[in-house]
Amino acid sequence: MLILGIETATERVSVSVGGHEGVIGLFEVTKGRRHAETLVPAIDFVCKRAGIELSEISVVAVDVGPGLFTGMRVGLSAAKAIAQALSVPMIGISSLDLLAFPCRHTDRVVVPVIDARKGEVFYAMYRQVPGGIQQVAEPAVGPVEDLVADLMARSQDVLVVGDGAVRYREEILEGFHCEMGGDAHPSAGQLVQLAHARALREEWVQPREIEPVYLRAPDAKINWATRAART
Amino acid sequence: MLHLRAASINDTHAIAGAIAQLVRAGDIVVLAGEMGAGKTAFAQGFGTAFDIDEPITSPTFTLVHSYDLPRPARGIRTMHHADVYRLERTAELADLALGELAEFGGVVLVEWGDVVEGTFGDHLTVMLDQDPDDEADELALDRARFIEVAGTGASWAGRWDRLKTSLERFAC
Repeated sequence: MLILGIETATERVSVSVGGHEGVIGLFEVTKGRRHAETLVPAIDFVCKRAGIELSEISVVAVDVGPGLFTGMRVGLSAAKAIAQALSVPMIGISSLDLLAFPCRHTDRVVVPVIDARKGEVFYAMYRQVPGGIQQVAEPAVGPVEDLVADLMARSQDVLVVGDGAVRYREEILEGFHCEMGGDAHPSAGQLVQLAHARALREEWVQPREIEPVYLRAPDAKINWATRAART
Repeated sequence: MLHLRAASINDTHAIAGAIAQLVRAGDIVVLAGEMGAGKTAFAQGFGTAFDIDEPITSPTFTLVHSYDLPRPARGIRTMHHADVYRLERTAELADLALGELAEFGGVVLVEWGDVVEGTFGDHLTVMLDQDPDDEADELALDRARFIEVAGTGASWAGRWDRLKTSLERFAC
């Protein structure tokens, strides 16, 4: 069973193909943020170099966020289009899960932090469990001070990872002594590995069921009444 | 706030061009004004100042048009021209992620953006209005306009004197 993994939730564009043998192809570029221009040629490149036809793919896995809106809409629309064209199911995985997963061998609490812009971060907390990691605190979005307050409230040994940790390193360390490290960006390599485990259990969905996770302010009607001229 | 009068379409373009000289990568410029007030005309003058030679048309039905600058200037690589007129909900606005577009080497012009101004952080607001004394047809492109310019946030406060000087000849 071959899985195509598409990762565009942060500045990185990452594409991977893999299956029971693990990751067999991986392309990543973490500078330039040209998701739309980079993604499809990258898929083509990885498949060709790994000697795989798209028709051999049996599941499309995608990072559903939270993260960059501009990146996710490129990744999700490409992933859905490919899955639909191939008539294969999809597996959507959270960007925070993907950042935490490579840290599954530490006994610290793993806190992936993704830059949400405007001084805010997306974050969640994970713990090692046999065979992987488990979320111990729901994903949240808020100012960096909220994250620091959460860390202080738990006051456990913590490993903080992600591009939000890189950007707000000083602020976090000033507020709470913890270890920083791991990956700054999620990778499609991790995505394929995590998705493979789920695919073996047939935990997949149809393309129409895949939705981005934005974790943003609740939706509201735009108050056009203030602009009566529009109506 | 600056109160300006553009006697012609050329003046509207010149005002837009003068503002374009002062924007930086990451800036958001809100264009306010009724139908036919000259929002798209302003965007055209703005684009010309960046040597964009593609035709700049209203993005009402496509939501965002993006134009790569032939010669990136002051870190600006792309001019995005958005129109939020058709949006009904804040989630649709969030979907457009205009702030992200600006952040990455972009400048974003947002027609009808005054309705959602609170979501933009630092930005410049350009309010356009037809000069009622001009006898040209209401929808004529080449007509006189009143243009008000207001800055929100520290980043515009720091540029205000230069902006004022460069637009002095249009003051009214």
